[in-house]
Amino acid sequence: MSAEEEENAADLKIGDEFLKAKCLMNCEVALILDRRLEQLQQMSDDPTNQLSQVFEKSHQYVKRFSRYKNQDAVKQVREILSRNKLSEFELSVLGNLCPETVEEAIAMVPSLKVIAFACCV
Amino acid sequence: MFFHIFLERNMLLHPRHFGPHLRDKLIAKLMKDIEGTCSGRHGFVVAITGVEDIGKGLIREGTGFVTFPVKYKCVVFRPFKGEILEAVVTMVNKMGFFAEAGPVQIFVSNHLIPDDMEFQSGDVPNYTTSDGSVKIQKESEVRLKIIGTRVDATEIFCIGTIKDDFLGVINDPGAAS
Repeated sequence: MSAEEEENAADLKIGDEFLKAKCLMNCEVALILDRRLEQLQQMSDDPTNQLSQVFEKSHQYVKRFSRYKNQDAVKQVREILSRNKLSEFELSVLGNLCPETVEEAIAMVPSLKVIAFACCV
Repeated sequence: MFFHIFLERNMLLHPRHFGPHLRDKLIAKLMKDIEGTCSGRHGFVVAITGVEDIGKGLIREGTGFVTFPVKYKCVVFRPFKGEILEAVVTMVNKMGFFAEAGPVQIFVSNHLIPDDMEFQSGDVPNYTTSDGSVKIQKESEVRLKIIGTRVDATEIFCIGTIKDDFLGVINDPGAAS
């Protein structure tokens, strides 16, 4: 597939399917996986034998890199970021990496450059 | 990046499962089959969060198996070229280092590590700046940029760089001790 060859997150070329899909920040994934783990624990005594390696690794990863632990904070972050007409992907990268300066934000999400210029002029 | 997407799949179900719990059986089988798999197109399927719709089953001639088209929602992890993310270093050697971001492995070659960082062998192999202020070793947390992906049928492997602005170590376990 030719679209696959050209993919580049810096220009938001991530394929239509993913561009339209809902992106999740690490903290949101952590909430989802926590809940899932709880469900499994209720259903059986030994939840570990049902879990895939992918699940476990992802869970560890999102727990380690979640910046917001509580559910309300996570909701607020998404709400505040979504006021700015960002794409789902941009929003999630910003939510994950929490850049402190404009320069850092543009380095993290190069597609923001257009917006930054528009604001300066 | 993690995504929440809708996917569809035709599930093949043995006739012995037909009965009042058919739907539950189907969902259990879907989770067992799909979770933890990886495809080049959608990435790693981490968890199925809901089943949207189960279509009409179609009996296969000869076997009695029935295929159901199932539409489900799931959390997937799909790395993209150009994406910046955080990862945990798992192995360091003189060729570079390996890091993990969730289910995906990322290799950062020593050409893509800043020139002022030198490889130090020993008990804990690491990359250190000449003044010793920054150190990359096992369990370090780094922020890196993915510059290439290789997609197999069952695995995705990435090449990353930390030779760019605002990339590199964010948390060093050695510094605390």
